[in-house]
Amino acid sequence: MTNTSSLSSTGTHGTHASPVISRRRLVPRMARGLFLDRQLAFWRKELGLAPAGLTRARVVAVVKETADVRTFLLRPGAGWRRHQAGQWVSLEVEVDGVRLRRCYSLSSGPSDLFVSITVKRVPGGRVSGWLHDNVRVGDMLSIGPAMGEFVLPETGRSKPTPPTGLLLLSGGSGVTPVMSILRELEVRGPIEDVVFVHHARSRADVPFAADLAWIARRNPGLRVIIHCDDEGVRGFDEARFTEAVPDFARRETYLCGPAPMMVRVEETWLRAGATAKLRRERFAAPIVTRTQGDDEKLVQVRLSAAGRTVTAGGEGNLLEQLERAGLTPKFGCRIGICQTCKCRKTSGTVLDLISGAISSEPDEDIRLCTSVARSDLELGL
Amino acid sequence: MTTSTTITTSSKTLTREEADAFGRELDELRREVAEDLGQRDVDHIRAVIKAANYAETAGRLLLAFGFGPVTFALGAGALGVSKILENMEIGHNVMHGQYDFARDPALSGRAYEWDNVCDGGDWRHSHNYEHHTFTNILGKDRDVGYGFLRVSEEQRWHPSHLAQPFTASLLAINFQWGVATHDLRLDELKRDPEARATIGTRARPFLEKAGWQLFKDYAFYPALSLWNAPRVLAGNLLANLGRNLWTFAVIFCGHFPEGVRVFHADEAANESRGQWYLRQIAGSANIEGGKWLHLLTGHLSHQIEHHLFPELPAARYPEMAPRVREICERHGQAYNTGSFAKQLGSVAKRLVKLALPSPRASRASRASRSAKVVAPETATTSTSTSRAAA
Ligand SMILES: Cc1cc2nc3c(=O)[nH]c(=O)nc-3n(C[C@H](O)[C@H](O)[C@H](O)COP(=O)(O)OP(=O)(O)OC[C@H]3O[C@@H](n4cnc5c(N)ncnc54)[C@H](O)[C@@H]3O)c2cc1C
Ligand code: FES
Repeated sequence: MTNTSSLSSTGTHGTHASPVISRRRLVPRMARGLFLDRQLAFWRKELGLAPAGLTRARVVAVVKETADVRTFLLRPGAGWRRHQAGQWVSLEVEVDGVRLRRCYSLSSGPSDLFVSITVKRVPGGRVSGWLHDNVRVGDMLSIGPAMGEFVLPETGRSKPTPPTGLLLLSGGSGVTPVMSILRELEVRGPIEDVVFVHHARSRADVPFAADLAWIARRNPGLRVIIHCDDEGVRGFDEARFTEAVPDFARRETYLCGPAPMMVRVEETWLRAGATAKLRRERFAAPIVTRTQGDDEKLVQVRLSAAGRTVTAGGEGNLLEQLERAGLTPKFGCRIGICQTCKCRKTSGTVLDLISGAISSEPDEDIRLCTSVARSDLELGL
Repeated sequence: MTTSTTITTSSKTLTREEADAFGRELDELRREVAEDLGQRDVDHIRAVIKAANYAETAGRLLLAFGFGPVTFALGAGALGVSKILENMEIGHNVMHGQYDFARDPALSGRAYEWDNVCDGGDWRHSHNYEHHTFTNILGKDRDVGYGFLRVSEEQRWHPSHLAQPFTASLLAINFQWGVATHDLRLDELKRDPEARATIGTRARPFLEKAGWQLFKDYAFYPALSLWNAPRVLAGNLLANLGRNLWTFAVIFCGHFPEGVRVFHADEAANESRGQWYLRQIAGSANIEGGKWLHLLTGHLSHQIEHHLFPELPAARYPEMAPRVREICERHGQAYNTGSFAKQLGSVAKRLVKLALPSPRASRASRASRSAKVVAPETATTSTSTSRAAA
């Protein structure tokens, strides 16, 4: 939604409208030609309405779960559609003038009065740190629609039957989507034969501890197991886990946790031949940051508009590397002044040669002629 | 030649190494400001966008529903100011990518389209790329006299230049059309068959944009106001005219007053970053004035800073200017600045003077310098305004 303007104006210049403009396209074309779209967006903002595609949500409470985890209870305004347990929203904030978007799983169940996100403060993290330090009750946050496939299968049409034989497996802040699923199970009826296994650094680092205890007390069919780093092995340990849940391979499993934990779980399931029963939610793509000496190394660059992937690397900046890979990106000055070579980077890490800054920000515009790849990239070329 | 060419500037010729040392100081200044960008800059541009939107709405309402000459003048004035703000401080600067750091789609340099007949894509090419990369290089920067005005002794005189006081006035009145057709290279159609063959496709973005603009100001808004249509049409015409005259004056003061240098292609070949900086400074001139003047010029009153740091938010130029000036002074570089009246007067005088044939500044005098070194030469003519630390 927010990128309609960028699509439209590149459209004006790059591809020319066919002589016969269909009526469906005439209205947006006209709105753009007369700047009515921009004025509408401006006055919407003046009136405190959310930008197209986003919902404004009021913070109704902030709960300190652990030393570095906080839950923000939100009351979304007009346009919000109920989420499914396990889904996430994209949250847009402005930190010192810079717009940043991050995904947060909803920790609330779909039937809860409020929607909530639960955020762990990542050391040096811009958005998580900002949320912890700045957001107060009464503030407004902008969120996108609930999305994601990490949800319960819809078994019944009108009244879904509560699924049984589930395993909810989490680590760290990965507990959020499985907590939402657990809350939904609770609402659907007495929980039967569900195991909830969470990994934390210590007992004090378990979010929702009181809720968990309360749900477990009311549902004898739920088994809650907490594995703590300071009580034995660090992270996911196959021996400890299989002893606690020997029948794991037959269970529909929902897994969400830090990348290293997920790798180990996947190995265990692979050996048990149960990979098909494993549903996963990832919070972060593993970011490979290359160091200075790696310049000659090759990276894979996915070009989303062209729909292909090329290998780039060696001498020089990204513009030169892509040209050597047979591409013809637009360019002008080639020294970082004219911005002609700017393109959208959807994911990956780049080093800007002029500012020296390294950025892994998703969806940012980079100058090809002043950038070098520090990881595999996806570009909007 | 006559009176005003007697004063010499104090710009020192720098070696490549000296130029690079000079450049490193400017790089450091750039880095400092780039790291400091944040809420303040975004708040500023949003405030200007807000002012421009309110002024536009007020102007259009006054024209459409008002009666009598007072509301007409107020309406046209408000619309004109809104267009000036939108074209200069918002459009020009946003389209340079100055606010890309904010990652706000409404402030995206690649997506922004400004409210005049020039297509944003054409502009990004002719201005951001050609003019800013090849600033004041004869034959490469087509902003030097826009292909039909003689703004420097270095340009060959042609009988058509006799009419330039008149043609320049015509350009001032229709400035947005001059800007809009600039990237079409109409002047090349006569001699270049390739240009003739491609003009149809090349002109399409311009024709489309201009069509919408004409429709907007001279059909859509007049029609919306029913019986007041002629009044609205006249008001819109006046607002566009005011914007044209103002932007013409600002742009001409930025590059064509006395003391601004032009370059030959061989001088700029293989130039280093530091030498590129030197050329930007020698090829630009500032206008002195208050906060409002700077805002209404889109901070192009700091043309020198803009040419050094085109990607930094222009509202930062006033605070950078004293530092730039100090660096120039220490490295013996002239910093061309003066009041609006002075710079505009100087431009007008030169346009008249250069309409007549004059001996081209001899290139032999420059032969002593290596072709690669770019530095403002001591023999260049100048007025007192260009003296460093004036
Ligand atoms: C689908 C999805 C759901 C998510 N749900 C949640 C959630 O419910 N709760 C929650 O707290 N987070 C969740 N995240 C992660 C969240 O989107 C952010 O990545 C996280 O809050 C860090 O953002 P930041 O701006 O604070 O850090 P940044 O400023 O982006 O990063 C700062 C540093 O931290 C590192 N880093 C970034 N993310 C992580 C991470 N997750 N773990 C460890 N190091 C990291 C970066 O590499 C960088 O070095 C989810 C992510 C996805 C994709
Ligand atoms: S080509 Fe000009 S900024 Fe990259």
